[in-house]
Amino acid sequence: MTTPTAGAALGNQLRAGTVAKVGSTKRIQELNGMLHSNRPNVDITRARAYTKVYKATEGMPSLMRRYKASAEVYRTLTDNVYDYEQLVGWPTKRIRGANFAIELHAHWLAEDLPNLRDRTYDPFEITDEDYKELEEELLPYWKDKTMAVQWGHYVSKEEWNRGQFGGVSDVSNYLCANGSHFIPAWTDVIQHGFVKYYEKAKALLAALDPNDPESIDKRIFYNGIIEVLEAIRDWGERLSAACARKAQQEKDPVRKKELEDMAAMMQRVPWGPATSFHDACETAWAVCFFLFVEGAGPSITWGRFDQYMYPYYKADIEKGILTPEKAMELIEELYVRVTSNVWFQSTQMAYIFGGYYRYPHLDVGGLDENGKDASNELSYLCLRAMRYAKTTSPAVSLLLHQKTPDSLLYEACELAAEGMGHPSFFNCEGLYSMLEHRASGPEAYSNYTRKDILKFGSPIGCVEPGAEGLQYGHTDSGIINVAGAALMAVTNGVMPRESDNMFAGKLLTFESGDPASFATFDQFYAAVKAQIKYAIEEAHANLLVCEKLLAEQFNLPTFTVLLEGALEKAKDATAGGAKVNVGPTMNMCGFGTMVDSVAAIKKVVYQDHAATLPQVRDACMENFRGYEDLRVKLQAAPKYGNDDDFADDIAADLWEWFAQCTMRLKMYRGHYCDAAVQMVQSNVGYGAMTGATPNGRLAGMPLSDTMSATQQADTHGPTAAARSYGKLDFPVYTNGTLLNMWISQSELMEKQ
Amino acid sequence: MEEKTAIIFDIGRFRNTDGPGIRTIIFFKGCPLRCRWCSNPFGLELHPQLAVNPAKCTGCGKCVEVCPHGVNAITPGEKVRVDFAACQTCGTCTAACPGGARAISGRAYTARQLYQEAAKDAAFYRKGGGGVTLSGGEVLLQYEVAAETLRLCRTNYLNTCIETSAYAPWDHLWQVAQYCHTVFVDLKHMDNTQHQAMTGVGNGVILDNISRLCRELPRRGGKVIVRMPLIPGYNDDDEAVAAGARFVAELDGAPELNLLPYHNLGESKYEMIGAAYTLPGLESRKRRDPRLLAIQALCQQLAPRNRVSLGGDAIDLG
Repeated sequence: MTTPTAGAALGNQLRAGTVAKVGSTKRIQELNGMLHSNRPNVDITRARAYTKVYKATEGMPSLMRRYKASAEVYRTLTDNVYDYEQLVGWPTKRIRGANFAIELHAHWLAEDLPNLRDRTYDPFEITDEDYKELEEELLPYWKDKTMAVQWGHYVSKEEWNRGQFGGVSDVSNYLCANGSHFIPAWTDVIQHGFVKYYEKAKALLAALDPNDPESIDKRIFYNGIIEVLEAIRDWGERLSAACARKAQQEKDPVRKKELEDMAAMMQRVPWGPATSFHDACETAWAVCFFLFVEGAGPSITWGRFDQYMYPYYKADIEKGILTPEKAMELIEELYVRVTSNVWFQSTQMAYIFGGYYRYPHLDVGGLDENGKDASNELSYLCLRAMRYAKTTSPAVSLLLHQKTPDSLLYEACELAAEGMGHPSFFNCEGLYSMLEHRASGPEAYSNYTRKDILKFGSPIGCVEPGAEGLQYGHTDSGIINVAGAALMAVTNGVMPRESDNMFAGKLLTFESGDPASFATFDQFYAAVKAQIKYAIEEAHANLLVCEKLLAEQFNLPTFTVLLEGALEKAKDATAGGAKVNVGPTMNMCGFGTMVDSVAAIKKVVYQDHAATLPQVRDACMENFRGYEDLRVKLQAAPKYGNDDDFADDIAADLWEWFAQCTMRLKMYRGHYCDAAVQMVQSNVGYGAMTGATPNGRLAGMPLSDTMSATQQADTHGPTAAARSYGKLDFPVYTNGTLLNMWISQSELMEKQ
Repeated sequence: MEEKTAIIFDIGRFRNTDGPGIRTIIFFKGCPLRCRWCSNPFGLELHPQLAVNPAKCTGCGKCVEVCPHGVNAITPGEKVRVDFAACQTCGTCTAACPGGARAISGRAYTARQLYQEAAKDAAFYRKGGGGVTLSGGEVLLQYEVAAETLRLCRTNYLNTCIETSAYAPWDHLWQVAQYCHTVFVDLKHMDNTQHQAMTGVGNGVILDNISRLCRELPRRGGKVIVRMPLIPGYNDDDEAVAAGARFVAELDGAPELNLLPYHNLGESKYEMIGAAYTLPGLESRKRRDPRLLAIQALCQQLAPRNRVSLGGDAIDLG
């Protein structure tokens, strides 16, 4: 019996409700306790604001309506201030709430609202009054206006269904997650505050030439931005007043002083420049949750937190107004607060991405703009803070390179040993190489300069390469179940009857040829490649429509002001305001299952002649019932992840094929599509929708995870598996790659 | 000319015992000793053997159908019974078993092939000074291939270790040991009669070899670590332990004495090859067992110049 790791044990205790109050100080313990005593819940503040504005602005320009709605959200956000907190402001009236985007979710929610409180994956609490208002007023207005519904006007019913419920070429993740995957211009906004953008917008508006035809739309843009920024300013005033009120009522002199300081702080930030580490943390928190409220998607990212926060930390330490312990307490509070942001997803998507997790991300380490090691005391404190706070968010990561100090690596390993999934390790070499070719197509370089990459480059969300203030785009979206695509090459495009899929027994992709007609492995292999290409291109065509809809109707003013150069261009983030536009991208799911399936067919059918391809098809169709002997043979074939070139050569070739098919496709905003392997946990949901596969996997079972070997197929240990993975060209996946390796604790050496 | 081969029953990658760093451990099949506590029974016989994992057998009867020699028998609802003595190790049943419950233990490798297996993980050895360890069974039984494997590894900058009983003619031992950075050698009992009773062979050759190895190997830059497996009720009484410690104390170069607590992890492997474990029911010893700590203290007292470590992973890696 191995004892569970500290993290796993704690997770069980949290779920059982026996303990939640963890953290380095009493304050953090209480805040953590408050966080965990709340269940995920729905807040309708944003939905109400949007409905009010949209009803009142019928006939006005689309961008104007959208910006007015965003401003109304800031005007109506809660001003709750709780005990123990040092940072101020919450996105929702209750902790762990979701101020969800009704303009993206109404179509499914109108049908599924009665199940929301007790659906299997990601249930949400909601008050009876809010439920009634949603049902009677808000949802009826929006249910035929969401992006998914509008997308349906452009594509056929079959395409609409295949894109959401077919499980091979899937775009459903893009339909309800506009506004996501973003590293705002942290350095700039913390240093100058929102007032800088306000003044800039006013100046640009004043400089417009009304006789220039381009000024027409720009005027609407600047006026809208100014209204949104004024609402952000007023929010700060409101919260300052709320702190002051609470201070008046407070009896404890220590806490009273804290509340008075917080009231003063809210007069300074996030509207103006941060003057201390505490101020900088407040801006980091407020901007993060603003974006989580305005955007519907995941992965608002803190990026290189230890870099842009360090000047404030250093100055405060020198002034004697901060200690490392106080700094770590503030970082822990950020961790607790950001964990409160739950992801609200459709029932279908919760089935695939369930768990409420919204993928915030914080990095430490890396290089500086001159290529030197960038680590500082905050790098260590950020890692250590997670060992105390023990929250699921943010994903704390170490940007690893040849010059990383051993001590920082050990600090990261200490956190890894807690068994909570923190930290992630990113290889700077791969990250920088991906950024150099981001969204640039197969034959060019991206718009990033070397300095941009070194100074601002960091992963977003799961693993996607990005840069602070320079990049916008939803970095997941098209999900290509390549295990399903390889299966389609065996079944001539039909999803096996024995599967829990809307298309079971029906044509799901296209007819790539009768399996009986494939006399050689090369012929079969060509069909596999054709099916992969088909799935990518179908997803691309669907995503183009969605991109157009977003740019025209689903604009994001707060994202836009936090992009360098977007105000000057007078272009919204959704319409291409960023220096580097990326996404939607193609994400590969079920890679190991696909490779093992193709390798099994090569071995059993074309090398050993122990079965025919139609027999393999029939076996998959029948979920191997009556084909147990064939299944044994298929399972015994060489598997990816064992340092065996028979399977690994197929892996390397299909890996490259997927990227090449993706990279040559142009997106709506003019850039090229990126390939990725990053969708954690989606292998379970897509596996549930996929029939039996030729590697011997039964229908409904999970597909292989990320780019990892199929579960239990890598039988030669982690070094052999690592050598298999090392045969693939990682940087060609310019939207990132993710490898999950599970190593038993007993395999690791004990600390001496 | 055909290259010499050795029968190997397992190659374990990413191991972190029996030497520094990340290691590949190559297990040589066949052993002249029959230690009653042996935890690697697959290493006893030199020839390849059928191994059946009863935990994975579903009793489907596939092996009964395919076996050309009628080795397997089945009663409905039970697991398959195997006549191991009649098995010709043709491997037909291992390919047919749907549960993956069957394997042939033992495969021939040339020294060059073994080096290639070890070199696969060279990138992982580098940082922690890892490399290859030859274990068994008794590696000296197939000393020619073992020596050539180690020579190839050593000339390609891999760290090299062996684990041995030292029960072999000196020149066989030396041919292998001369290429080693570290030799782990077992000291099971100082009393010849007891040794004979517990392992099937006397300890005269072994003690002579250990003494000589401690003289010769350090001259070539190699190191010896003497290991004492502590088997409750067999060799862990004060008298036996003290005799061993005194012997180690007098060896040249003050080698480390590494005490190995007994574990019963090998017990379930016996039934897989149709054999019976001779120490059934003996409990594994915990590392912090007071008796073990007392033994360690006793040894340290009697061998004050030597490092005395407790547990296989407590060795000095420097």
